[in-house]
Amino acid sequence: MSRQRRVFIPDNGHVAPLERANLPGVIAGREPTIVVDHVSKWYGDVVAVSDVSFGVGPGVTGLLGPNGAGKSTILKMMAGLLAASSGEITILGGPARGRPGVYKQLGLVPEQESVYPYLSGREFVRMNAILQKLPDPAGATERAIGLVEMGDAANRKMGGYSKGMRQRIKVAACLVHDPQVVLMDEPLNGTDPVQRAGLIALIRALGRSGKTVLVSSHVLVEVERFAENIVVIVNGKLAAAGDFRAIRDKIDAHDHAVRIRTDQPRRLAAALIADPATRALRFDHEGRIVAETDDVRAFYRAVPAAAKRYGIRLFEVQPDDESLTSVFAYLVER
Amino acid sequence: MTNLFWRTFPVTTLTVRQFLGGKAVRVVVAMSAIPCLFALIYLINTTVATPRDYLVEVVFRGLMAPTLLPIMVLILATGALGNEVEDRTLPYLTMKPMGRLRIAFEKLLGVLVVAVPAVLAGLLATYGIVRVAASDYQPVFRRAAENLDLTSVLGPMLVAATAGVVATASVFLFVSLVIPRALLVGIVYVFVWESLLGRFLTGIRIVSIRHYVESIFVDRLDDPAYTLDNATGLRAALIVVVVVSVVSVVLAAWRLRRMNLE
Repeated sequence: MSRQRRVFIPDNGHVAPLERANLPGVIAGREPTIVVDHVSKWYGDVVAVSDVSFGVGPGVTGLLGPNGAGKSTILKMMAGLLAASSGEITILGGPARGRPGVYKQLGLVPEQESVYPYLSGREFVRMNAILQKLPDPAGATERAIGLVEMGDAANRKMGGYSKGMRQRIKVAACLVHDPQVVLMDEPLNGTDPVQRAGLIALIRALGRSGKTVLVSSHVLVEVERFAENIVVIVNGKLAAAGDFRAIRDKIDAHDHAVRIRTDQPRRLAAALIADPATRALRFDHEGRIVAETDDVRAFYRAVPAAAKRYGIRLFEVQPDDESLTSVFAYLVER
Repeated sequence: MTNLFWRTFPVTTLTVRQFLGGKAVRVVVAMSAIPCLFALIYLINTTVATPRDYLVEVVFRGLMAPTLLPIMVLILATGALGNEVEDRTLPYLTMKPMGRLRIAFEKLLGVLVVAVPAVLAGLLATYGIVRVAASDYQPVFRRAAENLDLTSVLGPMLVAATAGVVATASVFLFVSLVIPRALLVGIVYVFVWESLLGRFLTGIRIVSIRHYVESIFVDRLDDPAYTLDNATGLRAALIVVVVVSVVSVVLAAWRLRRMNLE
């Protein structure tokens, strides 16, 4: 049975009243697990989220947008940590805020690194299992630690963990009670390529098992690796929602800038300028390469290939924040 | 054993671990030793007061009840939930199928598990040193009726201090969820409200934890030499302590339900 996939791009960023089944982001015929209904959040005069409506069903959905777009605010409102200024968010048929029972089926990986530095990773995950009132907290702890491959470091104090290890132990704590709905706020931040690949495989497996997984990220090519649906937020407004590939094509139509930090910037720049995916190159004040491309996917393939060919070490390959904002803003303008 | 604590009182166990791994408990332990230092000075020079007077008026009513006890407790109480808010770790507790009242109650329990032994140990050690001083004490003015009994002071001190710890901890657990710099506000409360204004304005005394701590103390001591102006009866003082503590924990739970966690 083929699923009907739709793409929603609001007119002027305004979302008209929509029926639950027709919410942007929801695959037709599927009941949304999370419903965001005309939600706004403001702090005094500052509007963080403005009249956003979309739905999220089972599978992996990416919540994409530049830094400061309002992704974390939306996730915190979904998790019941923040009250919406107006509108309503329901998870599994009811609001999360003021309904502690829903947390048996809901897990959140928060963006901030904060953990309890005086607890070991194993104690932290086990504490979460106990607070979830699981019948076998020890068994659930070992299963969750195994999922993120943290067995070797689980007895170390979390205060000594690297950023990537903290991210993984937070994911283990979030998954210890096997929740039906999983919210992850930039879970790949600070992870190395191996950890990143492991977490992406885990996110995809969670989606395949029928869970509703919403993962925020500001990196387009990262979201592409795990999400089948995406919701794009720009300046607190819904820019697009629906099938990833359709939205990606629209995003790809816009120019991108990528920032690269390497041990041999001039040699890598010389290699990249010869690649047809590269449109222009310059160096920023920190000596990093800033490359402009109109074929971002081909460019992301070209960078590691060139590095490998010339024995160049890559420290960082990141989309330029300003460029990202302009790409997303372009979506809103359409 | 540790597993049993985790399974029975997970939030309390977390709170105790939080204190044991931090600086706050070291400051509190150091503060609990201050009365011992006063007692050691008294050991050198016992002419300033009788041992009983020294224990009652200098150690408990002059040092512990008005200043040390509230500050020691508020350091711990404001950190129990306040640090979780500041460090953004509170969602690990609130995003669980667990009532907010239980979180607040277990947090209070965690504060008491550390604060009560710290305060009482300081008093016990001080009592021990003053007792040593009493063995060599020579009445200065040779008053025939001078009461040198120290044993009857110990019980009232411990009971009154425990009541003070419970009430202060409950109030400042709640305050830490409402005011960002609760420790600073607490210190102002101790020095301005309890110590300065409470001394001159009678009306303020009845809304001061110190007043009820001293009321319990003088009632249990039952010695006409030590009195308190407008003292509240033992039963009424205990009821006030219990009501203040229960209301504070309920308010903390209410605040946990309402607050936004950024």
